[in-house]
Amino acid sequence: MGIDILQGIISIIIILGLSPLFAGLVNKQKAILTGRIGAPILQPYYDLQKIFKKETINATSSSFISRISPLINLVTLVIAAAMLPVGFWKPLISFSGDIILFAYILGLARFFQILAAMDIGSSFEGMGAAREATFALFAEPIFFFTIGSISFISGFTSLFDIYHSIELTNISYGVFIIICSISVFMLAVSECSRMPVDDPNTHLELTMIHEVMILDNSGIDLFLYQYSSYIKLFIYAILEISFFYPFSQQSYLLGILIFITGSAALTFVLGVVETIISRSKMKNIPQYLLFATAIGILNLLIYTFTK
Amino acid sequence: MENVLSILFCLSLFYVIVTSRVKAYVTVLQIQGVLLSVLLIIQVIHNFSVYGIILPITLLLVKVILIPRYINKVISELEIKRRIEPTIQQMILLPIVIVTMITIFIVSSILSKNTAMDVIPFASGFSSIVVGIYIIMFRKKLIVHVCGFLILENGIFLFGTAVASELPMLIELGVLLDVFVVVFLMGITLNRISSTFKGFEVSHLGRLKD
Amino acid sequence: MLDFFIFILLPVLSAAFCFFVKDLKTQYSISLIVALLHLGLSLLVFLGLYNTDLPTFFSTDSLSKLFLLILSNVYFWIVLVSYSYLKRPIIPKAEEAKKYYFLLLNFYLASNSAAILSNHFGMYWVAAEATTLSVSPLIYFYRNEEALEAMWKYLFLVSVGIAFAFIGILLLTLSAKGTPLEGEQLFYTTFIKNASQLNPIWLKASFIFIFVGLSTKIGIAPMHSGDVDATSNAPSPIAALMSGSLRLTALIGVMRIYQIIRPTSSSEFARTILIIGGLLSLFFVFVYMFKVKNFKRMLAYSSVEHLGLITLGLGIGGLAFVGALYHSIFNSITKIILFLMAGNIRHNYNTREVLKVRSVLNFMPKTGWLFMIAFLAISGIPPLGLFFSEIKIFEGILFSDKPYILALVMFFLLFIFINMGKAIFNMLYKNGDGEQQSYKSEKFEFSHFIAIALLILLTCIAVFSPNILFENIINIAKDFGIIL
Repeated sequence: MGIDILQGIISIIIILGLSPLFAGLVNKQKAILTGRIGAPILQPYYDLQKIFKKETINATSSSFISRISPLINLVTLVIAAAMLPVGFWKPLISFSGDIILFAYILGLARFFQILAAMDIGSSFEGMGAAREATFALFAEPIFFFTIGSISFISGFTSLFDIYHSIELTNISYGVFIIICSISVFMLAVSECSRMPVDDPNTHLELTMIHEVMILDNSGIDLFLYQYSSYIKLFIYAILEISFFYPFSQQSYLLGILIFITGSAALTFVLGVVETIISRSKMKNIPQYLLFATAIGILNLLIYTFTK
Repeated sequence: MENVLSILFCLSLFYVIVTSRVKAYVTVLQIQGVLLSVLLIIQVIHNFSVYGIILPITLLLVKVILIPRYINKVISELEIKRRIEPTIQQMILLPIVIVTMITIFIVSSILSKNTAMDVIPFASGFSSIVVGIYIIMFRKKLIVHVCGFLILENGIFLFGTAVASELPMLIELGVLLDVFVVVFLMGITLNRISSTFKGFEVSHLGRLKD
Repeated sequence: MLDFFIFILLPVLSAAFCFFVKDLKTQYSISLIVALLHLGLSLLVFLGLYNTDLPTFFSTDSLSKLFLLILSNVYFWIVLVSYSYLKRPIIPKAEEAKKYYFLLLNFYLASNSAAILSNHFGMYWVAAEATTLSVSPLIYFYRNEEALEAMWKYLFLVSVGIAFAFIGILLLTLSAKGTPLEGEQLFYTTFIKNASQLNPIWLKASFIFIFVGLSTKIGIAPMHSGDVDATSNAPSPIAALMSGSLRLTALIGVMRIYQIIRPTSSSEFARTILIIGGLLSLFFVFVYMFKVKNFKRMLAYSSVEHLGLITLGLGIGGLAFVGALYHSIFNSITKIILFLMAGNIRHNYNTREVLKVRSVLNFMPKTGWLFMIAFLAISGIPPLGLFFSEIKIFEGILFSDKPYILALVMFFLLFIFINMGKAIFNMLYKNGDGEQQSYKSEKFEFSHFIAIALLILLTCIAVFSPNILFENIINIAKDFGIIL
């Protein structure tokens, strides 16, 4: 019991500590692939440090929502992180049915961010909020259809149990997992506002989705938003990497190795995708998201009718 | 293993529905050709015969090399623009396809209770047939119609393996030859159409009416 | 093996010959010899004087004997007329098309014979698709925009339709699961023997797919548009070939699956489908005939009508079945005359519009009279063949379990006759504005000779009604399990 809690706490610390590093890695990969030297890998830490020192100014028209929203954002993401199994360790919060909580706790974070964006009263932020809400509508089924289909097959409803039921030795299960991981990858791309759904680097108001919502935040608020977005990216990365753990043989060395190579490979894939793909048109994004949902539905269909 | 290939086949169908480039259609045709040949090769491995290897090789040759190359040649010769020009909103077709697929899967699983058959290749093959028809219905470019026809043919092939119909080699080869000649003739016709009508879209074909 | 050589290999060889020898006259004579041999042998086979010995996938029965004879008859006359047709001064663009004319015709004969003689659904499919391939370049003979569009539509629609028929064939395999036929090849003969054991759901599905798929090729409504476009824009001999033989080749596929489904519990279902298909075709033609603009298109629609009538007869069964088979013979012969004469008119007036063709009887009396007789024949006026077969079909409908269909059929046919007659008599008699009445004597052309010969043939078959033909048709009806 004690070990479990300890492992869970260590997991959270790993997630919270390494998430900016992951973002830095992605940026570095992208820079190298486009032929630049790029910022150092630790740049996100410096950024956070810099923002942290700045003064917090809120818009005069804003209400208490704007002040509590960044904090709620971080707290919900920490809770979500606490539900995620890192490696073979049991997470801090784990009960059957926790995939629903996981999905909606992320939904809560988004909800408050949208509220805060509208609270400021700027038309820009309102537009961003509207876009975020629209695309969230399409993104949510992806999670339920992919994770839901695995949970349907394995018969478990807790993230920890679901991942532990995966056997890569079975070929058809293996292909199934690979397809699920494509779907999760597409979800990650949209949730973490990367290309081709959103361009994290652009500051052109016409094209922004996520970035536009935090335009008016500064200081500690911006720090909280930024940090939680790093955590979100890492959460999805772990969700993706966890598919490939050899859960049947619990060797720690192998686990650590897979964690490191998996993260590196994922950063590489993200980097490559962002290099070769341009941001798609706003009207094509729902289609992109629907495609991921379709993959989830296909998985569900195929597993329902195989027996 | 057949199920795995069918899953990949369905994925290629989804891709072909969302993509808006003509070249992507040709790539999908190649991928489907490879999948079908792998399917055949697996069957040959189970009960090996030198005679049985002829069909997969011919299939690979025709569906992966000859036909896609020919279509690519037609595309580059006619300087067809890369957009596919849908007649309905791109966004609408994907939900339609998803609903159709769900229906097909459910219906075929109900039907499989009476007859012994592999539900997944059966339903995937049938979905491919329907998707081929959707492509013919909802796209303007004639070359895309040819691709839709070939996707339909591929679906029939997958469907054939699902119902475990073993046609004689001679006839299978004849079918392949026919399909190839159809595509060849269609290519020549397209060539003529583009030089006669200065375009290659369905809207140019409206002279014949009652 | 001689039969296989003459029916299938010889046309292929002759096609190859036509590919290498560019001289039109040589090509013509070779093709004519092949056609003659084909006709002779199929006549011998039909008369029972020659016992066939075909390799695997091929065999003959009463049905294929009859249809083979129809094919070689139509083909022979078409080849005979082709040379004089090609010699006409036509637009220079078509010169290029002449080179491939006989090549494709020979190829058409080979694939068509293979389709009719096939004993295996797969073989039938391959051959039927090959007939589409051989005939579609011929549609684009005149090298104009309409012909090009017609060729594309025909090629595409029929290819998709035939692909559907292939699904039907696969479903037939599925229907054999769990019966002694499982794992057997798709030979008609074995399937017909064990038909009652087949799974009815899949058998019905198979029938629908094959019927709908092939109806693009037969030209049964609502899938008739590609076929009508092609027939109306193809050169006249090809149009006659399509109406007279290609549609029947597609029909034989439907008849095979119908033969399988007859003894089973799904028989009633198949009958209903055939009847609906036939009535729908009649209805479409009925609607079209009110707005005739193009006389070749009108003839193409007339083919839809008659094929619809044949399908209806097959569906009704009994005496109507016999009538339908007679009808397919008479229709194929009459269509040759009609299309050849229409070709002459088109050549002379250089238009296909009904309104622009005036006083044909004055300008080209021979063509005009023959055209009129052929029109009377196709409308079922005695003693010209189609009268007898139509009467048989009507009688069959009247004494079947669905006599009310007769009223509908009569109603449609009456209006089709009136409207078609209106268009044709306008073409033949009505004088154009401000034209002086000049009676030109028309040169006696080869096509007139053929038309007269065919009219004599038509009347002879109808009046003398050869016993061997009657026996053959009765045998077919027996094969289908039809009680007369």
